[in-house]
Amino acid sequence: MSVENTLYRALAVLRFVITVNMVAVNLWRRDNMDHPWVGWLAVAAMAGWTVIAVWAYNAPERRRPLLLGADLAVAVAGVLLTLYVKGPDLQATLPGFWVMGAVLAWSVHWHWVGGLAAATVVSAADVSIRSDLTQVNYGNLFLLMIGGPVVGYTTGLLKEMATARDRAERAAAAAAERARLARVVHDGVLQVLSLVQRRGLELGGEAAALGRLAGEQEVALRSFVQQGTAAPQSSTSGDLARALTMLASPSVTVSVPGSPVLLPARSVDEAVAVVRACLDNVDVHVGQGAAAWVLLEDLGSSAVVTVRDSGPGIPDGRLEAAAAEGRLGVRESIRGRVADLGGTATLVTAPGQGTEWELRFPRD
Amino acid sequence: MAEVAEVAEVAGDRIRVMVVDDHPMWRDGVARDLTESGLDVVATAANGTEALNRAPAARPDVVVLDLQIPAPNGVEVTSALVQADPAVRVLILSASGEQNDVLDAVKAGATGYLVKSASRSDLLDAVLRVAEGDTVFTPGLAGLVLGEYRRLSDAPAARDADTPRLTDRETEVLRLVAKGLSYKQIAERLYLSHRTVQNHVQNTLRKLQLHNRVQLVRYAIEQGLDEE
Repeated sequence: MSVENTLYRALAVLRFVITVNMVAVNLWRRDNMDHPWVGWLAVAAMAGWTVIAVWAYNAPERRRPLLLGADLAVAVAGVLLTLYVKGPDLQATLPGFWVMGAVLAWSVHWHWVGGLAAATVVSAADVSIRSDLTQVNYGNLFLLMIGGPVVGYTTGLLKEMATARDRAERAAAAAAERARLARVVHDGVLQVLSLVQRRGLELGGEAAALGRLAGEQEVALRSFVQQGTAAPQSSTSGDLARALTMLASPSVTVSVPGSPVLLPARSVDEAVAVVRACLDNVDVHVGQGAAAWVLLEDLGSSAVVTVRDSGPGIPDGRLEAAAAEGRLGVRESIRGRVADLGGTATLVTAPGQGTEWELRFPRD
Repeated sequence: MAEVAEVAEVAGDRIRVMVVDDHPMWRDGVARDLTESGLDVVATAANGTEALNRAPAARPDVVVLDLQIPAPNGVEVTSALVQADPAVRVLILSASGEQNDVLDAVKAGATGYLVKSASRSDLLDAVLRVAEGDTVFTPGLAGLVLGEYRRLSDAPAARDADTPRLTDRETEVLRLVAKGLSYKQIAERLYLSHRTVQNHVQNTLRKLQLHNRVQLVRYAIEQGLDEE
């Protein structure tokens, strides 16, 4: 909107210049008028309209089709009236270059389409009153037909750039605000939540239950705050480190590198889903709330996620037995999903050593 | 308690601790816990300036430091403390676990890191171990350090002879720490002594800290700061 305001203000200055020019040219060539009274009346009317137009265009809510239509109508009327005022052997029209005010107003409002339409209407009116089109006349009309759309196109471009800039500024402001909130949350809420958790667990009883609740919220809020302050990501690729951090809980420890681990967005979603499946499996087989660790490593050509639990492990042959019975279960589901992304899933387990999934996601 | 108090000594003296945290309830809570466990809390500070002003007189063995404190921040305080007294041990206690800050603090010379939700006994254990010269790693810190070594070796300057690298054994140990295994479990799995595991972990930090110091000196020379 501000682009249009600025352009109309510039156009107001231009209108003043072309009005002075129109009055001066008509004074200079006043001998050419067959009907001077009508001619001067028309010039006065156009100068008067200029004042009205400058005022009217100054407010965005008044820039209606009616105003733009009237603006163009006045210019066309000025051109057509020339035939009566100056006779059929006319050279310059009464408004002359003044018509560009209306054409440019259309360009600013309706971009290249508006500029082209207004220039066409004015040119058609101009051609219609001439018995004989000179090269100079043609040159002027050609410039008008080129200038209208070019200014209109540029205006459209300026408006798009301004919109993009506003959007970027809003995003930056939102990010700054998120960072500020994260600091506030850190300094206050997180500290108190960890304190409640610590003291609660020491006091025992009902206070311990409260402490545990506070601890869960502390972990959830911490990963949320960490995610909120990271740079916005594009829709085609995602940061697996950030996504995995969200899975942290009092029982699940997530360790990631300090810098983002970028993968295609689909791979990130799928990788998180697989890790979640592994963690669910820990809950089922080791026990609800059993400790688990997730490690993400960026090896350049691939990203490796390890999910480990401290459970009893799976005895040799049990998985094979389950597969033989047709109960493929978790292992095949996890392997299949990782294979769909072109990766591999390896299960390392032994009695007493816990279970460890190593998921390798290739980058291409 | 008597048992703990016995342990809480370095060379016959009680371990001297300084607690730096801008949150009064936290600061007092941590100080009380440590005092009750037989440690000597010689000073507390609410911000970086207080910490740096009080440390020379208080001469703490261990500084328990919150990273998010009013300026100068935890990383700068770590750097200044270690520079003034290389014998001081810094244990980072952070609520948010803000990844890059933790990494910077460790590179600046901190030898331990703990999240604030750690239990009282975890905290005490960490302070004692740091005081003895051990490094206290969380799985989260191990993940960060692994990532940092990888980042350094991927950087354009990686051909450089002084880019720090992990040996295969160190990488193996660090990965196991990051996967949540205790030093004892790692020792069992790799058929190493507990002490050897501890040494491997310590080396990973020492190389990063050394590299960090070299980088700082090199930067100073490039900027012409050494001529003054």
